[in-house]
Amino acid sequence: MATSSHLFPQALHMIPTSQPSKKLRLSSFLSCAPSMNPPRLSVSRLSLNHSVSKSSFSLDAKARREVLVRAEGEGEGEGEAEEGVDEGNVEEVVEAKAARKARVKLGDVMGILNHKAIEVSEKVRPVPEIRTGDIVEIKLEVPENRRRLSIYKGIVMSRQNAGIHTTIRIRRIIAGIGVEIVFPIYSPNIKEIKVVSHRKVRRARLYYLRDKLPRLSTFK
Amino acid sequence: MAAALASRLTKGRSLLGGLTNAFSGLMSSSSGSILSQQQQRTFIQMGTTLKVVDNSGGKEVTCIQSLRGKKGARLGDIVIGSVKEAAHKVDVKKGKDAIQKGKVKKGNVVYGVVVRAAMQKGRVDGSQVRFDDNAIVILGIKEKKKDENGKEKKKRYAGGFHQPLGTRVFGPVPHEMRLKKQLKILSLAQHLV
Repeated sequence: MATSSHLFPQALHMIPTSQPSKKLRLSSFLSCAPSMNPPRLSVSRLSLNHSVSKSSFSLDAKARREVLVRAEGEGEGEGEAEEGVDEGNVEEVVEAKAARKARVKLGDVMGILNHKAIEVSEKVRPVPEIRTGDIVEIKLEVPENRRRLSIYKGIVMSRQNAGIHTTIRIRRIIAGIGVEIVFPIYSPNIKEIKVVSHRKVRRARLYYLRDKLPRLSTFK
Repeated sequence: MAAALASRLTKGRSLLGGLTNAFSGLMSSSSGSILSQQQQRTFIQMGTTLKVVDNSGGKEVTCIQSLRGKKGARLGDIVIGSVKEAAHKVDVKKGKDAIQKGKVKKGNVVYGVVVRAAMQKGRVDGSQVRFDDNAIVILGIKEKKKDENGKEKKKRYAGGFHQPLGTRVFGPVPHEMRLKKQLKILSLAQHLV
């Protein structure tokens, strides 16, 4: 509290003598909003100092938006200077300026990353369209098994979509015992997925097969 | 029925505060109970009955101690069990399935390795495997002897691994056996998952 009261008269004093136009704008902003709480003022004052020495993006959000708005109002000169300062955030600056006051969104980062990862995986091995009820055959390379590829055949009980970790659950009766295996379909270990046939089902998850006769889960 | 439904909701999972509409109650209960209906299988712990899948003589074993894990045993872990049901001597005498003499009898306390578990086990490549039942292969009979021998037994178990008593293993066996050094079981298995 003491510091803010100490700073306030200083801020007012600095207005006419400041040189960079950016700083002038911010100071005017500060002066024209005297109703702000003192702590708030001190924070923005500190960040104001920060902005002069460093890039504009170290400000808190509100001040940053004000800076951008005023930069836009001024014209291209300010904008270019900002872009020159921060090359890493070029996209965000452009977005913010184009959207005119829209917040700098970080966007759907996980979604974008997942898409990229899936693209990479698809280039190596394309994944067919798999739905619940398909009877598929998967050739898997198991590092433990060394030589041959293990073959897993069975009915797709469910498909869980989760970006790169999209999984399918295969069920089959092996040697008299029902076995369910969950495979991530974009895994590099899977060498081949092939849809052998399809069974008509009226569900997305076929958990009822667990209670049914083994005959329904047997696939030659 | 609506009242019963409402009371059931407020007890366990009250998703939408105070429900009056029976229809909405049904909707929320179905979305909540689907998760519970998916049957979260858990560990093999004291009291779990396990099927014996080798020809050592035992048929059913009740777990009395899981040698690994505070919560219980999983696929590939070793458990101590008490044989509840054993094959009669009369059953199979000759042939491949023959039960060796002097093998597991009812009441024996045995060591066994879990070869099939209803609880899913994750693998390093991101896949998961689960079976429809719980099954073990008997590794050795725990001798009920004096302190010295008892202690000896324990030490031996910590170090090496017992090999299976039987000579045949039925049903599918997962790759986890390789990690657990149960190579004999792997070689005897009908089918590797």
